[in-house]
Amino acid sequence: MTRRPARLLLSLLATFAASSAFAQAIDYDPRRAPELRACDEHQHHGRVDQARVCYSQFINSPNPVLQAEALWATGDLQRANECFRDFVQANARAVQPRIRWARLFLQTHQYNDAAELFRDALKIFPNDPHAKIGLARVLAERFEGEAGPLIEEVLREHDDLVEAHLVSAQLALEAGQTEAAQKALERAGDLAAKQKLPPLEVFSMRAAIETSRDRDPQPWIKRALDYNPRYGAVYEQLAHFEIMRRRYREATALLQRAIEVQPDLWSARAELGSNLLRLGQIDEARQQLQAAYSGDPYSPTTVNSLRLLDRIDQFDVSSTPVAVAGDTYVVRLRLHRSESSVLEPYAIDLVQQGIATFSRRYGFKLQEPVTVELYPDHDDFAVRVAALPGIGLLGVTFGYVVAMDSPSGRASGDFHWGSTLWHELAHVFTLEATDHRVPRWLSEGISVFEEWRTGPTPGVVVPPDVITALNEDRFLPVSDLDGGFIRPAYPNQIQVSYVQAGLICLFIEQRWGFERLSLLLHQFDRANVTTAAAVQSAFKMAPADFDKEFDAFLHSRYGALLAGMNEWQSQYQAARKAIQSEQWADAIAPAKRAAELYPEHVGPGSPNLLLARSLDKLGRRAEAIAAVEAYRNAGGWDPAALRELARWLDEAGRKQDATAVLQALNYADPLNPEQHVELGERLLADNRAEDSLREFRVLLALREHDQAPALFGAARALYALGDRAASRRNVLDALAAAPHYKPAQDFLLKIVEERTKNE
Amino acid sequence: MKTFFIAATLLALPTFAGAASFTFIVAGLGGEPEYEQRFREQAASLAAAAEKAAGDKSRVVLLTGEQARRESVRREFQEFAAKIKPADNVTVVLIGHGTYDGEEYRFNVPGADITGGELEQLFDRLPAKQQLIVNATSASGATIDRWQRPERVVITATKSGGERTATRFAQYWLQAVSSDAADVNKDETVTAAEAFDYTNRQVAASYKSEVALATEHARIAGEETAAFAVARIGSSALSGSDPEVTALLAQRGKIEQDLEGVKGRKAALSQDEYYDELEGVLVRLAQLQKQIDAKRVVQ
Repeated sequence: MTRRPARLLLSLLATFAASSAFAQAIDYDPRRAPELRACDEHQHHGRVDQARVCYSQFINSPNPVLQAEALWATGDLQRANECFRDFVQANARAVQPRIRWARLFLQTHQYNDAAELFRDALKIFPNDPHAKIGLARVLAERFEGEAGPLIEEVLREHDDLVEAHLVSAQLALEAGQTEAAQKALERAGDLAAKQKLPPLEVFSMRAAIETSRDRDPQPWIKRALDYNPRYGAVYEQLAHFEIMRRRYREATALLQRAIEVQPDLWSARAELGSNLLRLGQIDEARQQLQAAYSGDPYSPTTVNSLRLLDRIDQFDVSSTPVAVAGDTYVVRLRLHRSESSVLEPYAIDLVQQGIATFSRRYGFKLQEPVTVELYPDHDDFAVRVAALPGIGLLGVTFGYVVAMDSPSGRASGDFHWGSTLWHELAHVFTLEATDHRVPRWLSEGISVFEEWRTGPTPGVVVPPDVITALNEDRFLPVSDLDGGFIRPAYPNQIQVSYVQAGLICLFIEQRWGFERLSLLLHQFDRANVTTAAAVQSAFKMAPADFDKEFDAFLHSRYGALLAGMNEWQSQYQAARKAIQSEQWADAIAPAKRAAELYPEHVGPGSPNLLLARSLDKLGRRAEAIAAVEAYRNAGGWDPAALRELARWLDEAGRKQDATAVLQALNYADPLNPEQHVELGERLLADNRAEDSLREFRVLLALREHDQAPALFGAARALYALGDRAASRRNVLDALAAAPHYKPAQDFLLKIVEERTKNE
Repeated sequence: MKTFFIAATLLALPTFAGAASFTFIVAGLGGEPEYEQRFREQAASLAAAAEKAAGDKSRVVLLTGEQARRESVRREFQEFAAKIKPADNVTVVLIGHGTYDGEEYRFNVPGADITGGELEQLFDRLPAKQQLIVNATSASGATIDRWQRPERVVITATKSGGERTATRFAQYWLQAVSSDAADVNKDETVTAAEAFDYTNRQVAASYKSEVALATEHARIAGEETAAFAVARIGSSALSGSDPEVTALLAQRGKIEQDLEGVKGRKAALSQDEYYDELEGVLVRLAQLQKQIDAKRVVQ
């Protein structure tokens, strides 16, 4: 997955949607009304009809909390909400009913309201453990880092709470800490037995632990289903953790089993629909999501996903075979109709290059077609990925399916779509080569590293906030780096973790050679391999020693910058100030020094660009060109800067270099018609007729209202390629659109004369 | 019928034979230095393009800064209108900020603003049978219905008086009339329709590239939008009134009709038949165009 802080492309594999997979149904709070116990007993054992009859007797209870619980249990959520609300409003100090009301919001996906109510309960009774557990559940759903410390706080005071151990186990398992998870579950199981609470969630999570160890979960599944034959949640829970591990196919099978066992488990249907969407099975996804909506209209993820599917027919789907090293691979594109003709050639080209590069580098051949989806509407992409709009990601990979923002969905210069696609393609390889067992940090690290080394904008890019994190000793040990992605402990830890992971891969390449990085990846071909074990095996050293060497590498590479951060800041600010007041000569020295100290700063306001601008203003064009080229070689790609570079290169007589820069721009900003006009003419002049034809065809798609220049350009390119018939048709079409187009008229007369001579 | 078609085609062609082009440009109050400079520069560039098209500086009036005061605009416009004959064509361009209070539009100029009603009265004094009013200001949409007349094309940068943000329209209008960028049919003449279409697209594209909500939506009204030429480029600027050229242009009009006929029959023809017929017509057109260009150069 690619995230979006400034220009840094990051990647995170899809995890969000899995969190909404199941609503907590078991109330572990001992303050639950004793009248409900018999009904709960039926419910927990899957005796649905008896449960309904039992709960129904309390629907008109004079006890409003009892009434609310009964309404909730029989499915009348609106009235249950009203009962809780009225009671809480009339009883400001009521804690347990408030907590239960919060749980109702939690079940209906209204996390903000749930969190608020849990916090209100804690204001009344600051030490209420069940309010804390409920709040931890909300934080865990949203993958917020505070969930862990909150549960630890509860367990320090109350080691006898089943649900606290369950949440602790969940968090541990999500972080890959299976030993800790097992310990928590063993405690939870003992407590549940002693307190005569249903062990269903314990059994579910025990099954999940077995799966994470690639062992058979069936014994635990059997125990759950023996207790409650309608407990589809056991499969739903397994699916949740499979999705966390990015094993979407396995998750699909489990979710299908969940709804076989419990057809009205709407959360499982919704998750199944989302998962099928991830795998590109659109029709099946729609079916499940519609069913889920009918049973649970509160889920925003379901609603958003269905709305997205309503728009899916606005996309063109194509399948293109590409040849790589004697093999043929199929590339599927799902592109919005308005831009499919524009983006397709570049996307296919890049995917073909990516397949060639990553197959060779990582020794893995793709076994299935790759699907790439580009979304002009970022909210559609967000829904596609997490079923929730507004997420700060650029791209996501689900195995063989890559979904990402289209360049048209962002302002020019906001992100480099070519690099994003490259990053995501690398994920396809790292995931599939290891059957999705690669740990998150390494998959992200390789994707970032490949952007730096082989992608469309080569150059190691390390933004200032990562340098700051390094300076503040915030990098994580390699064995714990997954945590930086899953449960960030500070605001930009995810972004820092991306770059750290990339730097680790760079370190490996520089210390041992690239092949060792590939070897590290393939440690995860087998099941149950931890990062620690893989590091030990690949590098013959303990993770702690690896961390030491990595730290030494970082200080060797960035030591001067770390020691000179203050100097860098002051030089950089001096350069900016001089530029702002147009004191060009005064900007040169500080901009140069800032660039020397920190060449990897190629984000907005890069010192090399400041330097270039000043030099140009002083008439020192050749040096200005060198500064922008240094920026570009370091990974910079700002479209405005590169367009100016192309112009300068032209004026310096370096036309071919200028053409190369303009071609590179297609992977940053492909929707600029003038760029394609210029490239089409240049490439034709350089006898690169095939490339020229591509540019003119893209121009035709971009300028449907003004087709003549594109058609005329295509006519000339086709002529150069020897296709006289197609050339003739194109120039005639150009003149049909613009009959007085003189260059096209001249060309037509020329080809007619030539044909006449040859006859 | 044939005669009627030729005549109709001639009438539809942007014609300048015997007609002079007059342009009146006002750059209003910028408010901030950045806008002040921008409006001034845009107006100056438009004036330069108009002078080039007219071939006579005296036919272009440019008012900026203090010269754009209400009294000055009224006085200059009256003098300007007095020079114009019915056969001439006139373009008026307003650049700057406009406001609309629900009842009246105001063009912001130094001192008292000029109202839409006052401008309407001024415009009604123009005797020219071909008029183009381009109101590139914010809130300009409030004027389009009011200023429309049978002989007049009105273009506004906004769709209503409610679009109050400073507009980008003028910068792209300038591009449209001072280059061949807007000449979609490549006949070396930019009509009001072409210029509007180009400007509208460029404005929309500029907002889209920033992923910003467009705060202006231009409008055009009038019958002769495709006939009103706002710029001529290339050899079409050299037409003059040579009878031989006129005759050749008439022939060209006939071939253009034949072309439309072929295009109209496309669905009924095989691909080969269509392109063969198309080639026949277009070759004739190309050869005739060479004759026309040769005549124009000799002039």
